[in-house]
Amino acid sequence: MVTPLQSQVLLPERIAGLLGLSGTIGQIVGGLLGAFIIANLLLVQTAVAGPWAKRKITAAFTDRIAVNRVGPFGLVVIVADAVRLLSKELVIPEGVDRPAYDLGPLLVPFSALLGFAVIPMGNGIHLADPETGLVFAFAASSIASLGLVMMGYGSNNKYSLLGGLRAIASNIAYEIPLVVTAASVVVFTGTLQMSEIVAQQTQPLLSIAGVTIPQWFAIVNPFAFVLFVVANLAEVGRNPFDVPEAPTEIVAGFQTEYSSVYFVLIYLGEFIHIFLGGAIAATLFLGGPAGPFLPGFVWFTIKIWAFYLFTQWARSAIPRVRIDQFLDIGWKGMLVLSFANLALTAIIVGVIA
Amino acid sequence: MSLEEPTPDDGAVETLPTGADEIAELLGDLVIDTETHVNAPGFVIRPDTVQETLRRLRDEAGFDHLSCVTAEEREDRYESIYHLTSFDDRQREVSVIVPTTKDDPVSESAAPVFRTADWHEREAYDLVGIDYDDHPDLRRILLPETWQGHPLSQNYDQDRPQIVTLDEWENPLAEDHREDEGDTMYINIGPHHPATHGVLHVKTVLDGEQVADVDPDIGYLHRCEEQMCQTKTYRHQIMPYPDRWDYASSGLLNEWAYARAAEDLNDIEVPEYAQIIRTMGSELCRIASHMLAVGTFALDVYGDFTAIFMYAMRDREKTQNILEDLTGQRMMFNYFRLGGVVWDLPEPRDEFFETVRDFLDDLPQALEEYHDLITGNEILQSRTIDTGVLPPEVAKSYGATGPVARGSGIDYDLRRDDPYGYYDELEWDVITEDGCDNFSRLLVRLREVEESAKIIEQCADLLEDWPEDEREIQANVPRTLKPDDDTEIYRAVEAAKGELGIYIRGDGTDKPGRFKIRSPCFSNLQTLPEMSTGEYIPDMVASLGSLDIVLGEVDR
Repeated sequence: MVTPLQSQVLLPERIAGLLGLSGTIGQIVGGLLGAFIIANLLLVQTAVAGPWAKRKITAAFTDRIAVNRVGPFGLVVIVADAVRLLSKELVIPEGVDRPAYDLGPLLVPFSALLGFAVIPMGNGIHLADPETGLVFAFAASSIASLGLVMMGYGSNNKYSLLGGLRAIASNIAYEIPLVVTAASVVVFTGTLQMSEIVAQQTQPLLSIAGVTIPQWFAIVNPFAFVLFVVANLAEVGRNPFDVPEAPTEIVAGFQTEYSSVYFVLIYLGEFIHIFLGGAIAATLFLGGPAGPFLPGFVWFTIKIWAFYLFTQWARSAIPRVRIDQFLDIGWKGMLVLSFANLALTAIIVGVIA
Repeated sequence: MSLEEPTPDDGAVETLPTGADEIAELLGDLVIDTETHVNAPGFVIRPDTVQETLRRLRDEAGFDHLSCVTAEEREDRYESIYHLTSFDDRQREVSVIVPTTKDDPVSESAAPVFRTADWHEREAYDLVGIDYDDHPDLRRILLPETWQGHPLSQNYDQDRPQIVTLDEWENPLAEDHREDEGDTMYINIGPHHPATHGVLHVKTVLDGEQVADVDPDIGYLHRCEEQMCQTKTYRHQIMPYPDRWDYASSGLLNEWAYARAAEDLNDIEVPEYAQIIRTMGSELCRIASHMLAVGTFALDVYGDFTAIFMYAMRDREKTQNILEDLTGQRMMFNYFRLGGVVWDLPEPRDEFFETVRDFLDDLPQALEEYHDLITGNEILQSRTIDTGVLPPEVAKSYGATGPVARGSGIDYDLRRDDPYGYYDELEWDVITEDGCDNFSRLLVRLREVEESAKIIEQCADLLEDWPEDEREIQANVPRTLKPDDDTEIYRAVEAAKGELGIYIRGDGTDKPGRFKIRSPCFSNLQTLPEMSTGEYIPDMVASLGSLDIVLGEVDR
């Protein structure tokens, strides 16, 4: 058995141990504190990604400078923007369907945060490690679709309705290829447990001139990795698959009627979703928190930010596809390819193993 | 005037009637009187023979382009003037004048013959108050439905209070659709929408994601430009207004439209040197305008924050810097004067030419980049090819001009077909694309930038070598211009968006009696329902972007 990269002790237990608590109280306190820490780690990253990094990255792609007035590198603009957004008037349009209208924006960020519960982030930052970890991550992130429908339907706005319908269509069309592609990794690992998936990727694939290349599934099966990343783009709704929002077509889709704190919640949710997409990709294909020299958590952060950078790059450079083309790609392209990938992987694994 | 190419199998050389006598012969009894406009012979006809006259002129004399419809109220009558010309030979022109009585201003509609007459007659009804019989949809176009009175009519009371109600919009197709077969949804796109490029309101009916019906609702930016020009003197006061029609960087092109009409009306010869400066400045404006068009089109297709938009703005900025050196202004130039331009090139001249040449040297590389980024992109191609199709016959019937017409394979460019300025002395080509789709219109604009660059380069060479003592920037123009009473002229130039025409009727004073602007965007926008019915919403948005409308010019 290979030594696991991370300590098998999960975050809640460690916190309970540090606090000297045990039993049920230890589990509850440890669990709550652990969840609090992980949520804050992500919210901090989102705060950097949303008002600041997004602008800086887009500016770099479009030959501009972007925020640089407040604080070093303009970083204090994060605070300014947070205050500005939260202090705006919360406009509730006439005839909205409450409480669906109010619950939608809450569901989006919390579903994504829930998904992070099972992601091993390195250095023992891992809230829970159930045997069905991967399924839990997908299930949690899919709850967001429910939130999108609630927003689209509850807003009493036709653009919102169109956006909500598009969001559902895209979720159905791309969730299946996404999960089926992830299943091809499960065929290799034989388990859905996240820690085990990560652990198996630390095994050496081959050694060239003394450098050992680990068995990351992105290297073992690059085709599946590409499929997964593309489906993931659609799942998080970024270019070229940002049809549910499509600002130049349907204004802002499901979030047209949201302002102030609700807008912030949706905005947060989208970024956490991008990070969750990156985190699942990193865990399944890039060895999770594994990497040389630097601590695991740093590597994990680099990997999810790399995915974030990729989504922003796509946003600046790739045209949006039309809704019918979008569904064609999903149902006729991605679905077929992902099943072909799954079948081939199963055959190869069955023959070799 | 040149004549049509004879068809080889005809044997005898067949020519289309062009002279006043020939046209009079063709129209026969339909003509009740004749007039002479500065640009064309005019034929007065009875108000109930409009369709017959126009159909005969279109089918038998090749006048297939209804460029403009001017309506006005005179002392004793209402008048609609149909300015006809030909796509094949722009210099063949004829005016058809339809007078109606004051008591009963009803005239037959030309919309069944030329579809472009639909909107033009609606505008005439709205502003002047002429009723058009047999019109498919005669309602107000610029002003709200509830407006009382017609602002350009003589007895209009401008102090009368107006109440503009906000109606709940009804689905105009609701009646047509059986409820159990499928529902349509009415949706307002605009007046505040990211993709309408200004305050345009598109009343859209959707069937799922597809567009079942589109009705552009314009007038939100109506600023009475025509009426304002009528209250200003020819010599200096009108020139600042054209900058504000198509305000998205085509100022000099618009100024030229007024300058050309007013100069021809008053027999002013523009010195050659000034013509070259005008030509160069205008082409710089065209590049700026096309850059903006390409950038915003990319925005419509890519989504917000595309790199292409910023690149296009950057290149537009370069032309604006040069124009600022030349005119002292970045957008509202007010640089032309009747008889020339206001001042010579900036000193030191060498430095100015260097700036221009630097820009021209960098341009091919920049265009290469655009082609890499946009036209070479497969997703963009799949989005734009065969969407927003506008067949040439339809485009002609709607009076589409400029890149919209040339993207439908219509070889029509006033710079070549009705030469003015210095264009006929220079080497350049008219660009056409046969695709008739959004992609073709995009390509036409990108390729026209290259042609404009050629023109600018030749102009810069000419200006640089021009002998110092012959640099005449303005003709000797009287301080006050008073064209004779009842002299009428309709003149057009090739603006960035197409044929920008000006009709002026002199009334013996130093101010125009009637000033009419034929906006290319107005006619081009009319093709939107034709292009986008049955397509997806994203394609409708892309088609709107490919028309490159500026609402300031649509609404005037």
